[in-house]
Amino acid sequence: MKVLVTGATGFIGRNLCFELAEQGYTVMALCRNINHPYLIAHKNIMPIKGDILDMESLTNAMRGCSQVYHTAALAKMWCRDKNDFYNINVIGTRNVLALASDLSIHKVVYTSTCGVWGPTIKHPMNENDPRIDGFAIDYERTKHLAEIEARIYAEKGLNVITVNPSRVYGEGPITDSNTVGKMISGYLKGKWRVIPGKGTQVSNYAYLPDVVQGHIAAMEQGIAGNRYILGGEDVSFNTFFRTLQNITGIKQSMYKLPQKLIEAYSRFELVKTTLTGLPPVFLPEFAARLRKDQKYSSQKAITQLNYSITPFAEGMAKTIHHIKSL
Amino acid sequence: MSPLTAIVTGASEGLGKSLALELASRQIDLVLVSLPASGLPELANFIRKNFGVEVTIFEADLTVTESYSTLFALLKSESITAHILVNNAGLGNWAWFEDMSIGFYKKQIELNTIAPVLLTHLFLAQVDDERKAYLLNVGSLAGRFVVPKKQVYGATKSFISYFTRCLQLEMDRSNISISLLSPGGINTKPELLVLNHNLTGIAKATITEPDRVAYEAIHGMFLGKKEIIPGGVNKLMVVLNAILPGFIKDMIIKSKLKPVVKM
Repeated sequence: MKVLVTGATGFIGRNLCFELAEQGYTVMALCRNINHPYLIAHKNIMPIKGDILDMESLTNAMRGCSQVYHTAALAKMWCRDKNDFYNINVIGTRNVLALASDLSIHKVVYTSTCGVWGPTIKHPMNENDPRIDGFAIDYERTKHLAEIEARIYAEKGLNVITVNPSRVYGEGPITDSNTVGKMISGYLKGKWRVIPGKGTQVSNYAYLPDVVQGHIAAMEQGIAGNRYILGGEDVSFNTFFRTLQNITGIKQSMYKLPQKLIEAYSRFELVKTTLTGLPPVFLPEFAARLRKDQKYSSQKAITQLNYSITPFAEGMAKTIHHIKSL
Repeated sequence: MSPLTAIVTGASEGLGKSLALELASRQIDLVLVSLPASGLPELANFIRKNFGVEVTIFEADLTVTESYSTLFALLKSESITAHILVNNAGLGNWAWFEDMSIGFYKKQIELNTIAPVLLTHLFLAQVDDERKAYLLNVGSLAGRFVVPKKQVYGATKSFISYFTRCLQLEMDRSNISISLLSPGGINTKPELLVLNHNLTGIAKATITEPDRVAYEAIHGMFLGKKEIIPGGVNKLMVVLNAILPGFIKDMIIKSKLKPVVKM
């Protein structure tokens, strides 16, 4: 069976391509550059040059496929042209869904994010919980808008499932979207020496192979129009770095940066970026987020998709081993 | 003393949701009012679970006149006395006058003016005189500035502004504190998100985050402020409005008109 994966060089997409290829699917791996170093070589992976913003190349890639995994997105904190977020994440998704409808694709899995919920209060969020914050973060706003597109197409009859991974970590290249990889690699080199605030802020960490399996399970068993959180354990910054220290045996002296200082610095960064156009290290909307937890429950996926969560320490050990080998 | 209870209209999304969360974080029980199928039961569950307050929901279309008396009859039957009313429900628009239907304007005027007036009347009739009560009416900076493409919306908000300030005078000596909230643009609904995303300069600086607006609103309401203008730039705009000559104000307003909704 032929399947299309958009974002085939991305952190999730490249491993999804590999897993599907291993299972015997013929994978049409959509990428803008078919010689991209992150693209995995495999006899069942067919790199196909194209862009979700270019309907002709997209049609060429999707024709003849029975399933589509749409993982392509602009998953960054900042981008020089803010319109890129809207174009890639919203219009790109609309293009994929519109074409999937036209070509009568059997099923589409759309990769969204837990960022559509964002901050949490006390208990982990589930799929029915509301978003409690505004949409100051470009990535979250445009992914939210893209989910609305998916909802519209599901109502029109397209068999589309949305999956919402949390903060994904695992074996893969260190890129802007691989924030955990950046932290680990920085810690190993002794360059990452800070813990935000008191270190008690909790985030949800999803192990990449779990997330990949979750995508495939959503394709096989997901119910049209539904959303599934694909997460992992809720872990605080303190626990994160303690785990890192225990596994690596490297004990860096860490500095706890006061929240107010982070916020002041982020405002300075915003001014710098606005005036010079240089990429910011950190922006105010992200500083504000450090005040709140981001806890998510994968219970629905566990129950309906047989989703399983690799223990955080185990996933971290494998990830650290991989990053050391890079 | 038993906890306070607040009625919030238009609570399922946008500013109303943020106001409900802000009140809940202060351990205030809630009566949430919104249209059916707008996600109210899910929001109520979330608030009960995370804040441990009592939440009653009332799903109704507030342009239907019977809904006002039904709401207060429900509260009476459940022995709930409301101490706070937040008249937040409203219908906005950003369109040239001739581009919207007469049905839309009728609904907009009913929801933005008739509903808050009648709800306020019924609310005042049931408050406990012994206990301090609060009324928060959500107006808009658009009620102060003349903004093209917001002709009817701005007019309804001017109405709310007049109504609220007049009530403040009438009820000066009573045990009720009446506040007007006059926010600028807020980063809430998806269709607005696209719009706000394309704003630049002053227009962009007037856009505020809903949780920030909600915090300032509830904080100001409990302080008994007569008018709450969230956001530093918005406060500045109001000051400038009082001192700037007309043609400069027109220039600023027109700068807000430049972006085009891209849907």
